[in-house]
Amino acid sequence: MNPFRVALAVARKDLRSEWRTREVVPALAQFIILALLIGNFGFQVDSRNAASIAPGILWLALVFAGLVAFGRTFAAEREQASLEAMLMTPASPVAIFAGKAVAASLLLIACEAVMLPALSLFFGTPFSADVVAAVLIATVGMAALGCLFAAMVARVRARELLLPLLTLPLWIPFIIAGGQAVQSAMGLPGSYSEAISLLIDFDILFLVLTSLAARFVLDE
Amino acid sequence: MLIAGAAIFFYAPTDYLQGPVQRIFYLHVSSAIAAFGCFAVVLVGGVIYLRNESPAADRFARSGALVGVVFTTVTLVMGMLWAKTVWGAFWVWDARLTSTLVLWIIYAGYLLVRRLADPGRQAARFAAVVGIFGFIDVPVVHFSVTWWTTQHPGPVIINDALPPQMLATFLFTMACTVVLAAVMIAIRYRIETLVDEREQVFEPAKVLVAREPEPVQ
Amino acid sequence: MSMLVADGLTHRFGSERALDNVDLVLDTGEHMAVLGDNGAGKTTLLRILATALRPTSGRLTIAGLDAFGERRRLRHYLGYVAHAPGLYPALSARENLEFFCDLQDVDRTRVDEALATVGLTSVSHRRAGELSRGMQQRLAIGRAILHDPRLLILDEPDASLGADAADLLAGLMHDRTTVLATHDHALANRLCPRTLVLRHGRSLGTATHLRVVR
Repeated sequence: MNPFRVALAVARKDLRSEWRTREVVPALAQFIILALLIGNFGFQVDSRNAASIAPGILWLALVFAGLVAFGRTFAAEREQASLEAMLMTPASPVAIFAGKAVAASLLLIACEAVMLPALSLFFGTPFSADVVAAVLIATVGMAALGCLFAAMVARVRARELLLPLLTLPLWIPFIIAGGQAVQSAMGLPGSYSEAISLLIDFDILFLVLTSLAARFVLDE
Repeated sequence: MLIAGAAIFFYAPTDYLQGPVQRIFYLHVSSAIAAFGCFAVVLVGGVIYLRNESPAADRFARSGALVGVVFTTVTLVMGMLWAKTVWGAFWVWDARLTSTLVLWIIYAGYLLVRRLADPGRQAARFAAVVGIFGFIDVPVVHFSVTWWTTQHPGPVIINDALPPQMLATFLFTMACTVVLAAVMIAIRYRIETLVDEREQVFEPAKVLVAREPEPVQ
Repeated sequence: MSMLVADGLTHRFGSERALDNVDLVLDTGEHMAVLGDNGAGKTTLLRILATALRPTSGRLTIAGLDAFGERRRLRHYLGYVAHAPGLYPALSARENLEFFCDLQDVDRTRVDEALATVGLTSVSHRRAGELSRGMQQRLAIGRAILHDPRLLILDEPDASLGADAADLLAGLMHDRTTVLATHDHALANRLCPRTLVLRHGRSLGTATHLRVVR
């Protein structure tokens, strides 16, 4: 059984479900806009410091939206006992995991498509391909890690508490490098290319680790 | 350990720049090294557990994590005391302090996962995964923060040069601390073994399992 | 040849014993019912037999293979209908089945056959979330037979089915080894010559042609 086909089928199924119910993306997009609003008042943003504060707000909003998006990917499955049904087939758990992680990333990316222009709009920061690239590259690694731990805590008590506790320490390198990348792209000091290559390194490292760990987390 | 304590206070000369408070350094760094040793035990225990489900490996991992968190807490507290006295601030966002804090958070998470997951196989498996990711994450975080500071240069803070008497004291203290950690792990391992035994061995109630057909009322 | 041999299956959730030292042997083509009150351990036992759950101790052999070492291979043999349907509410009945065909590398033509077998052809386009509980149950059953399994494990499949439950199940079970958990003693008697009774996780024994008097 070809794992790529399995992953594709799972991703398609998740995306199709989301398309029909439209539960996650609108709620997340709203959340992100609100986060930007809070950022504005919480930080006393004005035209002078907007560029230095905006990256921070971006990553804060992204981190919290990510926790919700990835948490939901597996919590919803659980409620429907459907994850077990999938695991009862001969399909490889890693492929199933990959499919779900890809679908969840795409949903988060859809929200980022709202967030980045909004950030630009509200804070007057440049909206460039560099910023978009940094966010996209970071999303890949963050999604793999977020989904792995979401799968783990879905079967554990107190999951809303445990998911951030486990995931955030692993997201810190992405936030550091990604934060730097976005800052550089917005004109602050620091090397953009170094930041991006770090992000790519982290992506590779954690994608490999996550795919190795997935079968221990999903399978009984 | 008592000998180490005596050595710290009477044998090592007072550091020229920092004064008596510098003596905390011996225990602070030794604690940190002991903690890393403990987490290495967690890593190895976790990997072995995932490969062949050995309960002993899991017990080592559990013990290592608990003792490691204790030592990390000690490291952090001492670090903060030192920082306050020497620099005037409890905390600085440099690579070492940040990674130690992240380390603490990760293994606190490890212990929580153990507590909240289904005890037995599930808890052991999940914790092993957390332990492995955690162990890899700490150097990555350390590296990231170091890299960050190269992007944003600031004052260099920690001076590591050591005269011979201090070095000797330090190595001795470190050796004692590591031994202490090993002993604590061994004790904890014994406790965990007893806990495991208590939970797994029930006296099965005497039940007659009928094998012939019989009408059930 | 024994299709299924279970030896000393025990499962604990924390300090609570859900299943205590249960043995059972099933020959090919046999149908066995599992009876017991709520909380007796039926679902736990069935999940273990379906290899969805690993017991704390005990051994399970299916078709001569170690059930937990060869889980992936055995999935081709096994069809499991769990307590909860585990369907995707936003997808139609047909789409649900097609998805599981893809996961199992089974030809999609099986979907029409399965729908017909469980009597859902007329509602195949409706979203699974909109179907009645009984229809969802049927769909879950249909999913379990997509890959034509030799061994069926059914956890209270009759719970929401109507009066024709017995006929539907009899047809499904026809040439398949089956383990069926149910509360309905009459159904158990009608469909399954052998019965295993569980109480508080322990097996009270298996019997043939059980006359259950309540």
